Amino acid sequence: MKLFKFAQSRSLWMMHFCTGCGAVELPPTMTSRFDMERFGIIPMATPRQSDLLLITGYLTVKTLKRVVRAYEQMPTPRYVIGFGSCTINGGMYWDSYNVIKKLELYIPVDLYINGCMPRPEAIIDAFLKLREMIDKGEANAWKKYIENYEWYKKNQAEVFDVEKWSLKK
Amino acid sequence: MTVEETIKKDIETTFGELVRVEIERKHRVRAYTPRNMVLPMLAYLKQRGFHQFTLLTCVDWIKDGKFELVYNLYSLNYNVHVLISTKINRDKATMPTAINVYEMAFDYEREIHEMFGVEFEGHPRLDEFLLEDWKGIPPMRKDFDTRKYVEEKYGMKDLTKELFTRKEQPYRGPGSNG
Amino acid sequence: MSILYFFLYLLLVTIIGLLYMGAARKITAHIQNRYGPPVYQPILDVLKLFAKKDTASHGIMHSLGPVIAYTGIAATLLFLPLGNHTPLLHFNGDLFVVLYLLVVGPLGMALGAGESANSNATIGIARALSMMLGYEIIFFMATLPVFYHYGTASIYRVIQAQGAFPDWAAILFPISFIAGLFALQGLMGEKPFELVVAPHEIASGPMVEYGGKYLGLLQIWHAVGIIVETGLFVDIFFGPQSILWFFAGTFIVFFATVIVNAVMPRFRIEQAVRFYWGLPLLLSILGILQVYIWR
Repeated sequence: MKLFKFAQSRSLWMMHFCTGCGAVELPPTMTSRFDMERFGIIPMATPRQSDLLLITGYLTVKTLKRVVRAYEQMPTPRYVIGFGSCTINGGMYWDSYNVIKKLELYIPVDLYINGCMPRPEAIIDAFLKLREMIDKGEANAWKKYIENYEWYKKNQAEVFDVEKWSLKK
Repeated sequence: MTVEETIKKDIETTFGELVRVEIERKHRVRAYTPRNMVLPMLAYLKQRGFHQFTLLTCVDWIKDGKFELVYNLYSLNYNVHVLISTKINRDKATMPTAINVYEMAFDYEREIHEMFGVEFEGHPRLDEFLLEDWKGIPPMRKDFDTRKYVEEKYGMKDLTKELFTRKEQPYRGPGSNG
Repeated sequence: MSILYFFLYLLLVTIIGLLYMGAARKITAHIQNRYGPPVYQPILDVLKLFAKKDTASHGIMHSLGPVIAYTGIAATLLFLPLGNHTPLLHFNGDLFVVLYLLVVGPLGMALGAGESANSNATIGIARALSMMLGYEIIFFMATLPVFYHYGTASIYRVIQAQGAFPDWAAILFPISFIAGLFALQGLMGEKPFELVVAPHEIASGPMVEYGGKYLGLLQIWHAVGIIVETGLFVDIFFGPQSILWFFAGTFIVFFATVIVNAVMPRFRIEQAVRFYWGLPLLLSILGILQVYIWR
C-alpha cells in the first residue's frame, strides 16, 4: 500500500483546463526551462486518464458546466489545483455578471496558486506541495465531493441548470 | 483633396441634408444618420467600395433614452473607416436587419440582441448566443446592476469587506478543518 | 512447469518493456534539452493506474478490449525466441501465427473503443486499421527474403540457420533490412506514424475513454509490444544471440525509432499510407528480387 501511495504522489497526470487565461504559463512549465516531467507530471488529453485537474484562470458559468463534467469523469483519487486569483475570489472579474467567484463552492479544491498570473516557479512549487500532501494523506478533497455531494449540487444549481446538464437521460 | 474629403463629399451629395458627416481624424469618417437611412447608406457604401463590415456595436445613452448603433465599415482600397451611427429609442428598441446588405452582420446582430435587447426585424435567428439560460434584463444595459446581481447569484455578500478585512481562514465547504 | 516459466517470462518482458518506455522518455527529454523523468517512471505510472479506485466502463466489450489486446500480445511471446533461447512453441509456419497475433492487439482496441461511442476513438481505430495496409505489407515483404533463403517459415529455425556476425540476415539482405526498419517505425506507432494516438489531435484516439485499471493494462500492452516488435526484428535479422545481446539489440533498434520519433512531426493518414507504398515498397520488392536472382 505504501508503494501505491508512493506511485500516486510521483506520477500525476495533469489535465490543464485552460479557460482562456493562463495557457501561456504552462508551455514554459512543460518544456526545457522548467521541465515538470522530471517530477512525473505530464499533460494528458482526456479527463478519464488524468489525476490532476489544473483550472487556469477565470471560469464563466458556461465553462463551469464543462469543468464539473470533466471533474466528474475523472477516476478517483483526483486532485484539483486552482490556478490564479480568479479561482479564489474572482480576481479582476470580481464584479462580472457571468464569472463565478469562488471555485470551491462548486468543486472541491486541494490547492490554490495565488497570483495574476503565477509564474512557472509557483506552479512547480504547487505541484511539489501537492505531492507532499498526497504523501501525508492530506489531499482528500475528492472524498469531500463524494460525502457532500448534495451540498455541491445545490451550489451548482444556483448558477446553472444541473438537471438539464446532467448526463442521466 | 484627400480620400476622406472625397468620401465625405460623395455621401453629402447623395444623401443631402439627412446626414451629417464629419472627418474625425485621418482614415476615419463618421456619419450621423437617422434610423431609416442606415440601410440605403450601407447599400450605397458597399457599391462605393466598402466591402468589409468590421463591426456593429451599441452604446447605451441612458439619460437620453437612446441606443446608439455604430456600423463600422472599412475599405481596403482607400484605407478608410466609415462609422455610421444612428440613435434609436431605448424602450422597445427595434432596427431593420442589415444581413441582406452585409452577411457578416448576422452574428453581430445576435450579440447586440443578447447584450442590449435590440430587436432586429427580419433577422432569422435571434436566439441564445453567448449567454446561457439568461433571465432578466440584458447585462450590458446601463440599468443592469452588476454588483447586486453578483452578490445575489454568486454568494459574495459585502464583497469589499470580505476581501480586505477578513482575518480568519476562508470557509472551504463542509467537512474541512480550516 | 512451462506455465510458470511462461509467466516469469511475461513478467520479465513487461518490466523490461516499461523500462524501455522510461528510457524513451529520458532520451526524448535529453534531445529536447530537458532533464526528464526517472527511468522507472512508467512502472510508477502503471502502479498508480492500478491503484485507482473507480473506473468508468461503457459495457462488457469496452472492459474486455484491453484484456484481448494484452492476451494477444502475451500469446505472441509463446513463439518469440529471446535470441538463441528456445521458445515455448515452435513449428514450421509460426511466423504467420505471430503476424496474425500482432493484429489481435489493435483489433481488441477496436472492439473495446467501438463500444465507448466516442468519435475520437472511432477516428483512431479507423486510422489504426488503415495504417496496417501500409506497414503490415512492407513488414511481411521485407522478412520474406530471409524466410525464403533459409527455406523455412519458423522464426526459431531461421535464427538457428544464421551464424555468427558476418552471416546475419541483415548483412545478406541489407535492402530488406532497411525496408524492415521503415515498417518497424509504423508497427511501433512512433512519430511520423503516430496518427493512431495523436494526443493533440484526437485526444489519444482509441484510449480516449479508458482510464484507471484499463489504461494500466493498455500501458503494459504497449510495453510488451515494444519488446515483441523489436525482438521479432532482431531475431529475424541479427541471428542467434545470447539473451543479453538480444536485449542490447532490441534496445539499439528501439533507440533508433525513439530518435526518429523525437525529431519528427506527424503524417496525415493518407500521407502515411502513400509514403509506405512509395520508397519502402520499392526497397522490399528489390529485396525479393535479390533473393530471386541468388537462387
